[in-house]
Amino acid sequence: MMEKINMSINLGGLQLKNPVIPASGTFDLYENNPLPYDTKRLGAVMTKSIFLEKRLGNLPPRICETTSGLINALGTPGEGVEYLIKKKLPVFQKANQTVIVSIGGDGAKEFKLLAERLDKVEGIDAIELDLSCPNNEDNIIIARDEFLTEQTVAQVKEVFTKPIIAKLSPNVTDITKIARAAQKGGADILSLINTISAMAIDIKTKKPVLGNKVGGLSGPAIKPIAIKMVWEVAQTIDLPIIGIGGISNSEDAIEFLLAGASAVEVGTAALINPMVMLEIIQGIEDYLRQQGYRSIREIVGLAFRNH
Amino acid sequence: MYQVDAKVINQTEVIENHFILKIFAPEIVKKAIPGQFVMLSAWKQRDPLLRRPFTFNRIFCKEGSFELLYKKVGKGTEIMSNLKTSDQVSLLGPLGNGIKFTQNMKRIAIVSRGIGVAPMLAIVDSAKEKGIDIYAYLSATTKDLLLRKEEIKEKAKSLYITTDDASLGTSGKVTDFLEKTLKDTKIDAVYTCGSKRLKRHIESLKKLYGFNAWVILEEHMACGIGACKGCVCRAKKANDHKDRYLLVCKDGPVFPVDEVEV
Repeated sequence: MMEKINMSINLGGLQLKNPVIPASGTFDLYENNPLPYDTKRLGAVMTKSIFLEKRLGNLPPRICETTSGLINALGTPGEGVEYLIKKKLPVFQKANQTVIVSIGGDGAKEFKLLAERLDKVEGIDAIELDLSCPNNEDNIIIARDEFLTEQTVAQVKEVFTKPIIAKLSPNVTDITKIARAAQKGGADILSLINTISAMAIDIKTKKPVLGNKVGGLSGPAIKPIAIKMVWEVAQTIDLPIIGIGGISNSEDAIEFLLAGASAVEVGTAALINPMVMLEIIQGIEDYLRQQGYRSIREIVGLAFRNH
Repeated sequence: MYQVDAKVINQTEVIENHFILKIFAPEIVKKAIPGQFVMLSAWKQRDPLLRRPFTFNRIFCKEGSFELLYKKVGKGTEIMSNLKTSDQVSLLGPLGNGIKFTQNMKRIAIVSRGIGVAPMLAIVDSAKEKGIDIYAYLSATTKDLLLRKEEIKEKAKSLYITTDDASLGTSGKVTDFLEKTLKDTKIDAVYTCGSKRLKRHIESLKKLYGFNAWVILEEHMACGIGACKGCVCRAKKANDHKDRYLLVCKDGPVFPVDEVEV
Protein backbone atom coordinates (compact mmCIF):
# COMPACT_ATOMS: atom_id res chain seq x y z
CA MET A 1 0.00 0.00 0.00
CA MET A 2 1.23 3.48 -0.82
CA GLU A 3 2.20 5.62 2.13
CA LYS A 4 -0.27 8.46 2.65
CA ILE A 5 1.44 11.81 2.18
CA ASN A 6 0.15 14.79 4.12
CA MET A 7 0.07 17.56 1.53
CA SER A 8 -1.80 20.02 3.76
CA ILE A 9 -0.08 22.94 5.35
CA ASN A 10 -1.03 25.58 7.89
CA LEU A 11 0.38 29.02 7.16
CA GLY A 12 -0.09 31.31 10.11
CA GLY A 13 -3.73 30.30 10.46
CA LEU A 14 -4.38 29.84 6.75
CA GLN A 15 -5.10 26.16 6.21
CA LEU A 16 -4.31 24.84 2.72
CA LYS A 17 -5.00 21.31 1.49
CA ASN A 18 -1.84 21.51 -0.57
CA PRO A 19 0.84 24.19 -0.98
CA VAL A 20 0.17 25.29 -4.59
CA ILE A 21 -1.64 28.58 -5.24
CA PRO A 22 -2.02 30.61 -8.44
CA ALA A 23 -0.04 33.86 -8.26
CA SER A 24 -2.08 37.01 -8.24
CA GLY A 25 -2.35 38.75 -11.58
CA THR A 26 -1.80 35.62 -13.63
CA PHE A 27 -5.06 33.89 -12.85
CA ASP A 28 -8.69 34.67 -13.49
CA LEU A 29 -11.92 32.75 -13.59
CA TYR A 30 -14.95 33.23 -15.77
CA GLU A 31 -18.34 31.67 -15.14
CA ASN A 32 -18.98 30.88 -18.81
CA ASN A 33 -15.56 29.55 -19.76
CA PRO A 34 -14.06 27.21 -17.19
CA LEU A 35 -10.39 26.29 -17.17
CA PRO A 36 -9.51 22.86 -18.61
CA TYR A 37 -9.03 21.30 -15.14
CA ASP A 38 -10.69 21.05 -11.75
CA THR A 39 -9.67 24.17 -9.83
CA LYS A 40 -10.91 22.55 -6.60
CA ARG A 41 -7.64 20.61 -6.59
CA LEU A 42 -5.53 23.75 -6.08
CA GLY A 43 -4.34 24.74 -2.61
CA ALA A 44 -6.35 27.95 -2.95
CA VAL A 45 -7.47 30.38 -5.60
CA MET A 46 -6.20 33.96 -5.74
CA THR A 47 -7.84 37.02 -7.29
CA LYS A 48 -6.06 39.71 -9.23
CA SER A 49 -5.08 42.74 -7.13
CA ILE A 50 -8.16 44.79 -6.51
CA PHE A 51 -8.40 48.49 -5.66
CA LEU A 52 -11.33 50.46 -4.25
CA GLU A 53 -12.26 51.91 -7.62
CA LYS A 54 -12.18 50.73 -11.20
CA ARG A 55 -8.76 51.08 -12.84
CA LEU A 56 -8.14 51.24 -16.56
CA GLY A 57 -4.62 49.82 -16.51
CA ASN A 58 -1.69 50.82 -18.67
CA LEU A 59 -1.47 51.58 -22.36
CA PRO A 60 -0.64 48.61 -24.58
CA PRO A 61 1.66 46.91 -25.32
CA ARG A 62 1.42 45.54 -21.80
CA ILE A 63 3.48 42.37 -22.15
CA CYS A 64 6.78 41.48 -23.72
CA GLU A 65 8.51 38.12 -23.91
CA THR A 66 12.22 38.07 -23.08
CA THR A 67 14.72 35.25 -22.74
CA SER A 68 12.96 32.76 -20.44
CA GLY A 69 10.90 35.56 -19.04
CA LEU A 70 7.92 37.84 -19.43
CA ILE A 71 7.90 41.56 -18.71
CA ASN A 72 4.51 42.98 -17.88
CA ALA A 73 3.29 46.48 -17.27
CA LEU A 74 -0.41 45.95 -16.80
CA GLY A 75 -1.02 48.77 -14.36
CA THR A 76 -3.34 46.53 -12.31
CA PRO A 77 -6.51 46.99 -14.35
CA GLY A 78 -9.62 46.03 -12.46
CA GLU A 79 -13.26 46.71 -11.83
CA GLY A 80 -13.00 47.82 -8.20
CA VAL A 81 -13.82 46.09 -4.94
CA GLU A 82 -17.63 46.16 -5.12
CA TYR A 83 -17.61 44.47 -8.54
CA LEU A 84 -15.19 41.89 -7.16
CA ILE A 85 -17.46 41.13 -4.22
CA LYS A 86 -20.61 40.89 -6.32
CA LYS A 87 -19.42 39.32 -9.55
CA LYS A 88 -16.02 37.67 -9.16
CA LEU A 89 -16.03 36.31 -5.64
CA PRO A 90 -18.95 33.90 -6.19
CA VAL A 91 -17.08 32.38 -9.16
CA PHE A 92 -13.89 32.05 -7.11
CA GLN A 93 -15.77 30.56 -4.15
CA LYS A 94 -17.34 27.97 -6.41
CA ALA A 95 -13.89 27.14 -7.80
CA ASN A 96 -12.16 26.35 -4.51
CA GLN A 97 -12.87 26.13 -0.79
CA THR A 98 -10.02 28.53 -0.02
CA VAL A 99 -10.09 32.03 -1.50
CA ILE A 100 -7.36 34.63 -1.15
CA VAL A 101 -8.07 38.18 -2.29
CA SER A 102 -5.13 40.29 -3.40
CA ILE A 103 -5.47 43.99 -2.68
CA GLY A 104 -3.61 47.09 -3.85
CA GLY A 105 -3.83 50.71 -2.86
CA ASP A 106 -2.47 54.22 -3.22
CA GLY A 107 -1.11 54.12 0.31
CA ALA A 108 -1.99 52.68 3.71
CA LYS A 109 -5.37 54.40 3.81
CA GLU A 110 -6.73 52.61 0.73
CA PHE A 111 -5.33 49.28 1.93
CA LYS A 112 -7.14 49.79 5.23
CA LEU A 113 -10.46 50.71 3.60
CA LEU A 114 -10.27 47.65 1.37
CA ALA A 115 -9.36 45.34 4.23
CA GLU A 116 -12.19 46.76 6.33
CA ARG A 117 -14.66 46.15 3.50
CA LEU A 118 -13.41 42.63 2.79
CA ASP A 119 -13.42 41.65 6.46
CA LYS A 120 -17.21 41.91 6.36
CA VAL A 121 -17.45 39.54 3.39
CA GLU A 122 -18.03 35.83 3.94
CA GLY A 123 -15.84 33.27 2.24
CA ILE A 124 -12.52 35.12 2.09
CA ASP A 125 -9.82 33.14 3.85
CA ALA A 126 -6.92 35.58 3.65
CA ILE A 127 -5.81 38.74 1.90
CA GLU A 128 -2.52 39.32 0.17
CA LEU A 129 -1.22 42.88 0.20
CA ASP A 130 0.33 43.89 -3.12
CA LEU A 131 2.81 46.26 -1.49
CA SER A 132 4.55 47.05 -4.78
CA CYS A 133 2.15 49.98 -5.22
CA PRO A 134 3.29 53.59 -5.00
CA ASN A 135 2.24 55.51 -1.90
CA ASN A 136 0.20 58.52 -3.06
CA GLU A 137 1.88 61.09 -0.81
CA ASP A 138 5.48 60.68 -1.86
CA ASN A 139 5.19 58.23 -4.78
CA ILE A 140 7.54 55.83 -3.01
CA ILE A 141 6.80 52.14 -3.60
CA ILE A 142 5.50 50.87 -0.27
CA ALA A 143 7.44 47.59 -0.45
CA ARG A 144 10.70 49.54 -0.92
CA ASP A 145 10.33 51.37 2.36
CA GLU A 146 10.43 49.84 5.84
CA PHE A 147 8.30 52.53 7.44
CA LEU A 148 5.59 52.46 4.75
CA THR A 149 5.52 48.66 4.77
CA GLU A 150 5.09 48.47 8.54
CA GLN A 151 2.52 51.26 8.55
CA THR A 152 0.46 49.71 5.74
CA VAL A 153 0.41 46.22 7.24
CA ALA A 154 -0.40 47.66 10.67
CA GLN A 155 -3.35 49.64 9.31
CA VAL A 156 -4.72 46.51 7.66
CA LYS A 157 -4.14 44.49 10.83
CA GLU A 158 -6.35 46.88 12.77
CA VAL A 159 -9.38 46.00 10.70
CA PHE A 160 -8.83 42.57 9.15
CA THR A 161 -9.42 39.55 11.34
CA LYS A 162 -8.14 36.75 9.10
CA PRO A 163 -4.58 35.99 7.94
CA ILE A 164 -2.71 38.77 6.19
CA ILE A 165 -0.09 37.95 3.57
CA ALA A 166 2.44 40.70 2.84
CA LYS A 167 3.81 40.36 -0.72
CA LEU A 168 7.35 41.65 -0.91
CA SER A 169 9.20 43.27 -3.76
CA PRO A 170 12.68 42.11 -4.79
CA ASN A 171 13.56 45.63 -5.91
CA VAL A 172 15.20 46.50 -2.60
CA THR A 173 18.68 46.51 -1.10
CA ASP A 174 17.90 44.13 1.75
CA ILE A 175 14.63 42.21 1.58
CA THR A 176 15.00 40.91 5.15
CA LYS A 177 14.61 44.48 6.47
CA ILE A 178 11.29 44.90 4.63
CA ALA A 179 10.23 41.43 5.77
CA ARG A 180 10.98 42.45 9.36
CA ALA A 181 8.92 45.63 8.91
CA ALA A 182 5.99 43.59 7.59
CA GLN A 183 6.29 41.30 10.59
CA LYS A 184 6.32 44.26 12.97
CA GLY A 185 3.21 45.58 11.25
CA GLY A 186 1.47 42.31 12.01
CA ALA A 187 1.74 40.23 8.84
CA ASP A 188 0.87 36.57 9.38
CA ILE A 189 2.52 35.31 6.20
CA LEU A 190 5.10 36.69 3.78
CA SER A 191 4.96 36.03 0.05
CA LEU A 192 7.97 36.70 -2.14
CA ILE A 193 9.03 37.71 -4.67
CA ASN A 194 6.99 40.07 -6.82
CA THR A 195 8.32 40.85 -10.31
CA ILE A 196 11.77 42.33 -10.83
CA SER A 197 11.93 45.82 -12.32
CA ALA A 198 12.80 45.46 -16.00
CA MET A 199 12.45 46.86 -19.50
CA ALA A 200 13.00 46.00 -23.15
CA ILE A 201 13.77 48.21 -26.14
CA ASP A 202 12.72 47.47 -29.70
CA ILE A 203 15.82 47.91 -31.86
CA LYS A 204 13.71 48.51 -34.98
CA THR A 205 11.61 51.37 -33.58
CA LYS A 206 14.36 52.33 -31.10
CA LYS A 207 11.72 52.79 -28.43
CA PRO A 208 10.74 50.95 -25.25
CA VAL A 209 8.56 47.95 -26.12
CA LEU A 210 6.02 48.45 -23.35
CA GLY A 211 3.42 51.20 -23.35
CA ASN A 212 4.45 51.99 -19.79
CA LYS A 213 8.14 51.83 -20.87
CA VAL A 214 9.15 49.84 -17.76
CA GLY A 215 7.58 46.81 -16.16
CA GLY A 216 8.22 43.75 -14.05
CA LEU A 217 9.99 40.57 -15.07
CA SER A 218 8.55 37.17 -14.21
CA GLY A 219 9.10 33.63 -15.40
CA PRO A 220 11.93 31.07 -15.22
CA ALA A 221 14.57 33.81 -15.59
CA ILE A 222 13.92 35.13 -12.07
CA LYS A 223 13.77 31.83 -10.17
CA PRO A 224 17.35 31.77 -8.81
CA ILE A 225 16.96 35.33 -7.50
CA ALA A 226 13.69 34.41 -5.80
CA ILE A 227 15.19 31.27 -4.27
CA LYS A 228 17.99 33.30 -2.72
CA MET A 229 15.57 35.86 -1.27
CA VAL A 230 13.33 33.16 0.22
CA TRP A 231 16.43 31.51 1.66
CA GLU A 232 17.51 34.79 3.29
CA VAL A 233 14.11 35.72 4.68
CA ALA A 234 13.35 32.20 5.93
CA GLN A 235 16.50 32.23 8.07
CA THR A 236 15.90 35.71 9.43
CA ILE A 237 12.16 36.05 10.02
CA ASP A 238 9.98 33.64 11.90
CA LEU A 239 6.92 33.78 9.66
CA PRO A 240 5.61 31.28 7.12
CA ILE A 241 6.65 32.09 3.57
CA ILE A 242 4.93 31.60 0.24
CA GLY A 243 7.65 31.32 -2.40
CA ILE A 244 7.03 32.95 -5.78
CA GLY A 245 9.24 33.46 -8.82
CA GLY A 246 9.48 31.49 -12.03
CA ILE A 247 8.15 28.20 -10.72
CA SER A 248 7.48 26.07 -13.80
CA ASN A 249 7.44 22.50 -12.51
CA SER A 250 7.53 20.46 -9.31
CA GLU A 251 11.34 20.53 -9.11
CA ASP A 252 11.22 24.32 -8.99
CA ALA A 253 8.50 24.23 -6.33
CA ILE A 254 10.47 21.74 -4.20
CA GLU A 255 13.52 23.98 -4.45
CA PHE A 256 11.46 26.80 -2.90
CA LEU A 257 10.23 24.51 -0.11
CA LEU A 258 13.80 23.47 0.65
CA ALA A 259 14.82 27.15 0.67
CA GLY A 260 12.28 27.80 3.41
CA ALA A 261 8.91 28.41 1.75
CA SER A 262 5.92 26.52 3.16
CA ALA A 263 3.84 27.04 0.03
CA VAL A 264 4.30 28.40 -3.49
CA GLU A 265 2.50 30.62 -5.97
CA VAL A 266 2.70 29.79 -9.65
CA GLY A 267 2.24 32.59 -12.17
CA THR A 268 3.80 32.83 -15.59
CA ALA A 269 4.03 29.04 -16.07
CA ALA A 270 0.27 28.71 -15.58
CA LEU A 271 -0.31 31.31 -18.30
CA ILE A 272 1.44 28.96 -20.69
CA ASN A 273 0.21 25.65 -19.30
CA PRO A 274 -2.99 26.01 -17.27
CA MET A 275 -2.57 22.42 -16.04
CA VAL A 276 0.88 23.05 -14.58
CA MET A 277 -0.30 23.59 -11.01
CA LEU A 278 -1.86 20.13 -10.87
CA GLU A 279 1.35 18.65 -12.27
CA ILE A 280 3.29 20.48 -9.54
CA ILE A 281 1.02 19.18 -6.76
CA GLN A 282 1.45 15.63 -8.05
CA GLY A 283 5.19 16.08 -8.48
CA ILE A 284 5.68 17.31 -4.91
CA GLU A 285 3.70 14.37 -3.56
CA ASP A 286 5.74 11.91 -5.64
CA TYR A 287 8.99 13.50 -4.46
CA LEU A 288 8.00 13.29 -0.80
CA ARG A 289 7.04 9.65 -1.21
CA GLN A 290 10.24 8.75 -3.05
CA GLN A 291 12.35 10.55 -0.47
CA GLY A 292 10.61 8.89 2.44
CA TYR A 293 8.86 11.96 3.88
CA ARG A 294 5.28 11.99 5.03
CA SER A 295 4.46 15.69 5.01
CA ILE A 296 5.37 18.98 3.35
CA ARG A 297 6.39 20.39 6.72
CA GLU A 298 9.35 18.00 6.93
CA ILE A 299 11.18 19.52 3.95
CA VAL A 300 10.49 23.22 4.56
CA GLY A 301 13.83 24.95 4.95
CA LEU A 302 15.83 21.72 4.82
CA ALA A 303 18.48 23.43 2.72
CA PHE A 304 19.56 25.52 5.70
CA ARG A 305 18.35 23.30 8.51
CA ASN A 306 20.78 20.65 7.23
CA HIS A 307 23.77 22.88 7.82
CA MET B 1 -11.28 24.77 -23.99
CA TYR B 2 -8.95 21.80 -24.26
CA GLN B 3 -5.23 21.40 -23.72
CA VAL B 4 -3.93 18.64 -25.97
CA ASP B 5 -0.77 17.30 -27.52
CA ALA B 6 -1.42 17.01 -31.23
CA LYS B 7 0.40 15.61 -34.24
CA VAL B 8 1.45 17.55 -37.30
CA ILE B 9 -0.12 16.07 -40.44
CA ASN B 10 2.02 18.10 -42.80
CA GLN B 11 3.52 21.51 -43.44
CA THR B 12 4.16 23.41 -46.65
CA GLU B 13 6.03 26.61 -47.31
CA VAL B 14 3.61 28.31 -49.68
CA ILE B 15 5.94 31.13 -50.58
CA GLU B 16 9.11 32.27 -48.87
CA ASN B 17 8.56 32.52 -45.08
CA HIS B 18 4.83 31.75 -45.31
CA PHE B 19 3.63 28.37 -44.11
CA ILE B 20 0.52 26.24 -43.93
CA LEU B 21 0.64 23.87 -40.99
CA LYS B 22 -1.92 21.07 -40.79
CA ILE B 23 -2.59 19.54 -37.39
CA PHE B 24 -4.73 16.62 -36.21
CA ALA B 25 -6.70 17.62 -33.10
CA PRO B 26 -10.23 16.18 -33.16
CA GLU B 27 -11.25 17.44 -29.67
CA ILE B 28 -10.44 21.01 -30.60
CA VAL B 29 -11.89 20.77 -34.11
CA LYS B 30 -15.19 19.48 -32.76
CA LYS B 31 -15.74 22.78 -30.95
CA ALA B 32 -13.94 25.15 -33.31
CA ILE B 33 -15.65 27.83 -35.36
CA PRO B 34 -14.11 30.37 -37.77
CA GLY B 35 -12.59 33.42 -36.09
CA GLN B 36 -11.49 31.43 -33.05
CA PHE B 37 -7.85 30.63 -32.35
CA VAL B 38 -5.47 28.22 -30.67
CA MET B 39 -2.45 28.88 -28.49
CA LEU B 40 0.38 26.73 -29.82
CA SER B 41 3.71 25.67 -28.45
CA ALA B 42 6.23 23.63 -30.40
CA TRP B 43 9.01 24.00 -27.84
CA LYS B 44 9.73 22.33 -24.53
CA GLN B 45 12.61 24.57 -23.52
CA ARG B 46 11.90 27.99 -22.00
CA ASP B 47 13.12 30.27 -24.73
CA PRO B 48 10.78 31.06 -26.39
CA LEU B 49 8.62 30.88 -23.32
CA LEU B 50 5.06 31.69 -24.29
CA ARG B 51 2.65 29.91 -26.58
CA ARG B 52 1.76 31.74 -29.78
CA PRO B 53 -1.80 32.53 -30.88
CA PHE B 54 -3.00 31.43 -34.35
CA THR B 55 -6.42 31.78 -35.92
CA PHE B 56 -7.97 28.80 -37.70
CA ASN B 57 -7.22 29.17 -41.38
CA ARG B 58 -9.19 26.09 -42.29
CA ILE B 59 -11.23 23.68 -40.20
CA PHE B 60 -11.77 20.13 -41.47
CA CYS B 61 -14.59 18.83 -39.28
CA LYS B 62 -14.80 15.33 -40.73
CA GLU B 63 -11.03 14.79 -40.63
CA GLY B 64 -10.67 16.27 -37.14
CA SER B 65 -7.88 18.52 -38.36
CA PHE B 66 -7.21 22.17 -39.06
CA GLU B 67 -4.73 24.35 -40.87
CA LEU B 68 -2.88 27.41 -39.68
CA LEU B 69 -1.44 29.99 -42.04
CA TYR B 70 1.47 31.93 -40.65
CA LYS B 71 4.45 34.04 -41.52
CA LYS B 72 7.85 33.34 -40.03
CA VAL B 73 8.67 36.46 -38.04
CA GLY B 74 10.51 35.46 -34.88
CA LYS B 75 11.78 32.76 -32.55
CA GLY B 76 8.49 30.89 -32.19
CA THR B 77 7.53 30.78 -35.86
CA GLU B 78 11.15 29.93 -36.74
CA ILE B 79 10.86 26.74 -34.67
CA MET B 80 7.41 26.04 -36.08
CA SER B 81 8.69 26.35 -39.63
CA ASN B 82 10.84 23.27 -39.03
CA LEU B 83 7.93 21.07 -37.93
CA LYS B 84 7.58 17.86 -39.93
CA THR B 85 4.87 15.23 -40.31
CA SER B 86 4.25 13.36 -37.01
CA ASP B 87 5.99 16.01 -34.88
CA GLN B 88 4.08 16.93 -31.75
CA VAL B 89 2.76 20.35 -30.74
CA SER B 90 0.90 21.43 -27.63
CA LEU B 91 -2.40 23.22 -28.19
CA LEU B 92 -4.85 25.13 -26.06
CA GLY B 93 -8.16 25.85 -27.70
CA PRO B 94 -10.48 26.63 -29.28
CA LEU B 95 -10.28 30.11 -27.76
CA GLY B 96 -12.10 33.40 -28.14
CA ASN B 97 -15.39 34.26 -29.77
CA GLY B 98 -15.77 33.09 -33.33
CA ILE B 99 -18.13 33.99 -36.13
CA LYS B 100 -21.71 32.86 -36.11
CA PHE B 101 -23.83 33.24 -39.21
CA THR B 102 -27.48 34.00 -38.64
CA GLN B 103 -30.36 32.30 -40.48
CA ASN B 104 -31.28 35.28 -42.63
CA MET B 105 -27.76 35.97 -43.98
CA LYS B 106 -27.60 35.69 -47.73
CA ARG B 107 -24.43 37.52 -48.72
CA ILE B 108 -21.22 38.24 -46.85
CA ALA B 109 -18.03 40.04 -47.81
CA ILE B 110 -14.50 39.30 -46.69
CA VAL B 111 -11.92 42.06 -46.92
CA SER B 112 -8.34 41.28 -46.01
CA ARG B 113 -4.79 42.36 -46.57
CA GLY B 114 -1.69 40.19 -46.63
CA ILE B 115 -1.50 37.60 -43.88
CA GLY B 116 -4.83 39.00 -42.65
CA VAL B 117 -6.38 36.46 -44.99
CA ALA B 118 -5.59 33.86 -42.30
CA PRO B 119 -9.07 33.69 -40.70
CA MET B 120 -10.88 34.33 -43.99
CA LEU B 121 -10.71 30.93 -45.64
CA ALA B 122 -12.37 29.30 -42.61
CA ILE B 123 -15.12 31.91 -42.86
CA VAL B 124 -15.48 31.27 -46.60
CA ASP B 125 -15.68 27.48 -46.12
CA SER B 126 -18.31 27.80 -43.45
CA ALA B 127 -20.40 30.38 -45.36
CA LYS B 128 -20.30 28.29 -48.53
CA GLU B 129 -21.52 25.26 -46.63
CA LYS B 130 -24.50 27.27 -45.42
CA GLY B 131 -25.32 28.48 -48.92
CA ILE B 132 -24.27 32.06 -48.24
CA ASP B 133 -22.84 34.01 -51.19
CA ILE B 134 -19.30 35.24 -50.65
CA TYR B 135 -17.85 38.46 -52.04
CA ALA B 136 -14.11 38.48 -51.53
CA TYR B 137 -11.80 41.52 -51.57
CA LEU B 138 -8.13 40.70 -51.20
CA SER B 139 -5.23 43.11 -51.04
CA ALA B 140 -1.48 42.63 -50.73
CA THR B 141 1.77 44.40 -51.54
CA THR B 142 2.40 42.02 -54.43
CA LYS B 143 0.62 39.12 -56.10
CA ASP B 144 2.68 36.37 -54.43
CA LEU B 145 1.37 37.54 -51.08
CA LEU B 146 -2.24 36.96 -52.10
CA LEU B 147 -2.27 33.78 -50.08
CA ARG B 148 -5.18 31.34 -50.38
CA LYS B 149 -6.43 33.28 -53.42
CA GLU B 150 -7.24 30.13 -55.39
CA GLU B 151 -9.17 28.43 -52.59
CA ILE B 152 -11.19 31.58 -51.98
CA LYS B 153 -11.80 32.10 -55.70
CA GLU B 154 -13.23 28.60 -55.95
CA LYS B 155 -15.91 29.35 -53.39
CA ALA B 156 -16.56 33.05 -53.86
CA LYS B 157 -19.28 34.52 -56.04
CA SER B 158 -16.95 37.37 -56.93
CA LEU B 159 -13.33 38.06 -56.15
CA TYR B 160 -11.66 41.48 -56.31
CA ILE B 161 -7.93 41.96 -56.01
CA THR B 162 -5.61 44.89 -55.54
CA THR B 163 -1.84 44.86 -55.20
CA ASP B 164 0.36 47.84 -54.35
CA ASP B 165 2.61 47.12 -57.33
CA ALA B 166 -0.32 46.25 -59.63
CA SER B 167 1.24 42.83 -60.25
CA LEU B 168 -2.31 41.46 -60.10
CA GLY B 169 -5.53 43.46 -60.21
CA THR B 170 -5.27 47.21 -59.84
CA SER B 171 -3.22 49.21 -57.36
CA GLY B 172 -6.25 51.02 -55.96
CA LYS B 173 -8.12 50.58 -52.72
CA VAL B 174 -9.79 47.21 -52.42
CA THR B 175 -12.61 48.82 -50.44
CA ASP B 176 -13.51 50.88 -53.55
CA PHE B 177 -14.57 47.56 -55.10
CA LEU B 178 -16.56 46.77 -52.00
CA GLU B 179 -18.31 50.12 -52.30
CA LYS B 180 -19.20 49.36 -55.93
CA THR B 181 -20.77 46.09 -54.85
CA LEU B 182 -22.64 47.78 -52.02
CA LYS B 183 -24.27 50.18 -54.46
CA ASP B 184 -26.38 47.45 -56.02
CA THR B 185 -26.09 44.45 -53.71
CA LYS B 186 -27.22 44.01 -50.13
CA ILE B 187 -24.35 42.59 -48.11
CA ASP B 188 -25.43 41.27 -44.71
CA ALA B 189 -22.05 41.13 -43.02
CA VAL B 190 -18.49 42.23 -43.77
CA TYR B 191 -15.44 40.62 -42.13
CA THR B 192 -12.04 42.21 -42.23
CA CYS B 193 -8.55 41.42 -40.95
CA GLY B 194 -4.99 42.52 -41.46
CA SER B 195 -5.15 46.26 -42.03
CA LYS B 196 -6.08 49.24 -39.88
CA ARG B 197 -6.76 51.23 -43.04
CA LEU B 198 -9.19 48.67 -44.41
CA LYS B 199 -10.93 48.53 -41.05
CA ARG B 200 -11.42 52.30 -41.08
CA HIS B 201 -12.69 52.29 -44.67
CA ILE B 202 -15.23 49.62 -43.81
CA GLU B 203 -16.32 51.60 -40.80
CA SER B 204 -17.13 54.60 -42.98
CA LEU B 205 -18.83 52.43 -45.59
CA LYS B 206 -20.94 50.92 -42.83
CA LYS B 207 -22.21 54.38 -41.91
CA LEU B 208 -23.19 55.00 -45.55
CA TYR B 209 -24.64 51.65 -46.51
CA GLY B 210 -25.62 50.04 -43.21
CA PHE B 211 -24.42 46.48 -42.78
CA ASN B 212 -22.94 44.44 -39.95
CA ALA B 213 -19.17 44.55 -39.98
CA TRP B 214 -16.63 42.71 -37.91
CA VAL B 215 -12.90 43.06 -37.52
CA ILE B 216 -10.70 40.17 -36.43
CA LEU B 217 -7.83 41.52 -34.35
CA GLU B 218 -4.48 39.98 -33.59
CA GLU B 219 -2.33 40.85 -30.61
CA HIS B 220 0.60 39.48 -28.65
CA MET B 221 -0.81 37.22 -25.96
CA ALA B 222 0.70 35.49 -22.96
CA CYS B 223 -2.21 33.19 -22.08
CA GLY B 224 -5.08 33.50 -24.57
CA ILE B 225 -7.60 32.72 -21.83
CA GLY B 226 -8.28 36.10 -20.24
CA ALA B 227 -5.93 35.63 -17.31
CA CYS B 228 -3.00 37.93 -18.02
CA LYS B 229 -4.91 40.99 -19.34
CA GLY B 230 -2.01 41.67 -21.67
CA CYS B 231 -3.73 41.67 -25.09
CA VAL B 232 -5.86 44.77 -24.84
CA CYS B 233 -7.34 46.99 -27.51
CA ARG B 234 -9.03 50.30 -26.87
CA ALA B 235 -12.82 50.33 -27.02
CA LYS B 236 -14.54 53.17 -28.85
CA LYS B 237 -15.82 55.60 -26.27
CA ALA B 238 -19.41 54.98 -25.32
CA ASN B 239 -21.88 57.66 -24.27
CA ASP B 240 -20.18 58.04 -20.90
CA HIS B 241 -16.95 59.07 -22.74
CA LYS B 242 -14.91 56.85 -20.47
CA ASP B 243 -11.77 55.06 -21.61
CA ARG B 244 -12.15 51.32 -21.71
CA TYR B 245 -9.97 48.43 -22.79
CA LEU B 246 -11.15 45.13 -24.21
CA LEU B 247 -9.26 41.84 -24.15
CA VAL B 248 -8.56 40.59 -27.66
CA CYS B 249 -8.50 36.97 -26.42
CA LYS B 250 -11.59 37.01 -24.25
CA ASP B 251 -13.82 39.78 -25.60
CA GLY B 252 -12.68 39.13 -29.20
CA PRO B 253 -10.80 38.41 -31.36
CA VAL B 254 -13.87 39.18 -33.51
CA PHE B 255 -15.21 42.65 -32.70
CA PRO B 256 -17.90 44.84 -34.24
CA VAL B 257 -15.85 47.14 -36.46
CA ASP B 258 -17.12 50.32 -34.79
CA GLU B 259 -16.60 49.16 -31.22
CA VAL B 260 -12.80 49.10 -31.21
CA GLU B 261 -10.05 51.58 -32.03
CA VAL B 262 -7.07 50.24 -33.90
